[in-house]
Amino acid sequence: MSLIWLNLCRSPIRTALTVFGTAIALALFCLLEALLGAFNAGAEMASASRLVVQHKESLTFLLPQAYASRIGQVEGIKGVAQVTWFGGLYETPLPEGGKREEFFANFAVDMEQYLKLIPEVIISPVQYESLLKDRTGCLIGDKLAERLGKGVGDRISLRPLLWPKKDGHPWDFTVRAIYTSNSEVFDRTLMVFHHKYLEEGRVFGKGETGSYLVGLKSASQFAEVSDAIDRLFSNSPNATRTMSEKAFNMQFISMMGNLKLLFRFIGTVVIFTMLLISANTMMMSGRERTREMAILKAIGFSDRHVFTLLVGESIAISLLGFLVGAFGMYTLINLAHWNPKPDFLSIFQVPDAAMISALGIAILTGLVSGFLPGLAAMRLQAAEALRSI
Amino acid sequence: MTPIVNLKNLTKIYYKGDSEILTLDHVSLQIEPGEFIALMGPSGSGKTTLLNLLGGLDTPTDGEVDVCGQDLSVLSSRELARWRADHVGFVFQSFNLLPVLTARQNVELPLTLQPLSSQERRHHAEVALRIVGLEDRMDHRPSELSGGQEQRVAIARALACDPQLLLADEPTGDLDAKSAQDVMELLKRLNESLGKTIIIVTHDSHAAEFARRELHLEKGVMHMERKR
Repeated sequence: MSLIWLNLCRSPIRTALTVFGTAIALALFCLLEALLGAFNAGAEMASASRLVVQHKESLTFLLPQAYASRIGQVEGIKGVAQVTWFGGLYETPLPEGGKREEFFANFAVDMEQYLKLIPEVIISPVQYESLLKDRTGCLIGDKLAERLGKGVGDRISLRPLLWPKKDGHPWDFTVRAIYTSNSEVFDRTLMVFHHKYLEEGRVFGKGETGSYLVGLKSASQFAEVSDAIDRLFSNSPNATRTMSEKAFNMQFISMMGNLKLLFRFIGTVVIFTMLLISANTMMMSGRERTREMAILKAIGFSDRHVFTLLVGESIAISLLGFLVGAFGMYTLINLAHWNPKPDFLSIFQVPDAAMISALGIAILTGLVSGFLPGLAAMRLQAAEALRSI
Repeated sequence: MTPIVNLKNLTKIYYKGDSEILTLDHVSLQIEPGEFIALMGPSGSGKTTLLNLLGGLDTPTDGEVDVCGQDLSVLSSRELARWRADHVGFVFQSFNLLPVLTARQNVELPLTLQPLSSQERRHHAEVALRIVGLEDRMDHRPSELSGGQEQRVAIARALACDPQLLLADEPTGDLDAKSAQDVMELLKRLNESLGKTIIIVTHDSHAAEFARRELHLEKGVMHMERKR
């Protein structure tokens, strides 16, 4: 081990540059995984015992509110709640002039029914009561509250992007409750408010809702209940499409195109580049030390020893790169909570699986890039090498 | 007494393309334990090839190589490496120390192949460096030593595992006259006081005078032998 370390210190600049190259590649890999995780967060937080009913044509078409009671009568259903995407933009004036704008997911919902269907949301009973009583009250996640610097009783004003208000003013809300969650994957940057408030104030769309969230008595009844709901409205002008909550959330991800494929492609290119850099360094290092390998063999080191030495050096470089790059990125994102776009990436974390993958990639890169020089050293004929150099 | 080296009709042919280069031609030789041999001859006469065959770094085309009671022709590459670690110490013309290691670490290197604790390895290395008179240079790297000192570290490395046989290829080739004299005196002392069997390849007749027997090779054939 000490010989491996000493050999790495022989050309400190070259070793440092190779480690740096590997570190950058692995840091980028972890960043991409964190981004992918953030995009998939909606799908991850979905429950298998919830369905979403939307218009058969598209989510942009609305459904009659009268469907709620008919859906609620379908066998196997625990509860139904209207959910309409509000898409308001948070605006607040800055002391130095201008406005601060923030975007976060905000929905109008049947509050009582909605909260019954989302047990992941945890609110204190006092705040819950207060929320139900206030028509303009809203519920926000603790992370959003922290980001906006808001507490219970504070006002929030949203500029409508989809739903203009009758009086032409922004929609004003009072924070009545702040939720946290017992689920690590549940988004804690959401805002929900009473559907009645939207209904009263909006210019158009009265009597309609964007979608219905449906709770199942048993997740195993998913297929039967979905079919039953869609059959109910199949001959109406507003036919429905019922899907799992996960499938519903995945629609938004698929709207961004095949990001996963793009990210994976970038990741593969980066890793391949890293492999070339590392392999080139190890080849150079191995070639420079042909005589030393011959000497080691002359004093009794076996073919296996010299192979292990060179592959070990290569793995050591990759592992240093892992420590600097992947672990550095993990520390920055997961421990220091750095988020390049908190309003867009509500759950931004390097997944543990990505760290394990990065470690695997580092070890594999070390093995592959050290293999050829190691093999050359193994096959080296000590007598010939000593004579020819 | 059983000879430490017993060669019978040793032949080595190198192949380059279609041509054959006969480097050693039916060499037979016996060396007794404790001998100090100087192997001389012009360039290309096969001296280094013979030394490499004796040290198990090369394999003969024909003939028998029996060294330290072991027929080397039956050993695998791995077994040969192990055998070298236990029975032979090499000294080279250009010292060939590992530049990243100190004198002590260089001497400890072959000891890592032995079943020794790190303390025992350190102790053995220090004893070997004391024998060659470099106890005050143990923590110096090769770049901080003179050529003569480097060669003495190389000799200490060869001695570290207490081998029966020391093989030295032009050990004074890269040294000035004074350092060469010191190195040869050291080898002679190792031969006389520790009873090591030493075989050196040299062009230098002055260095050869330290040996008790001179062997002359010419075009792969053992021509002349002189005893002192």
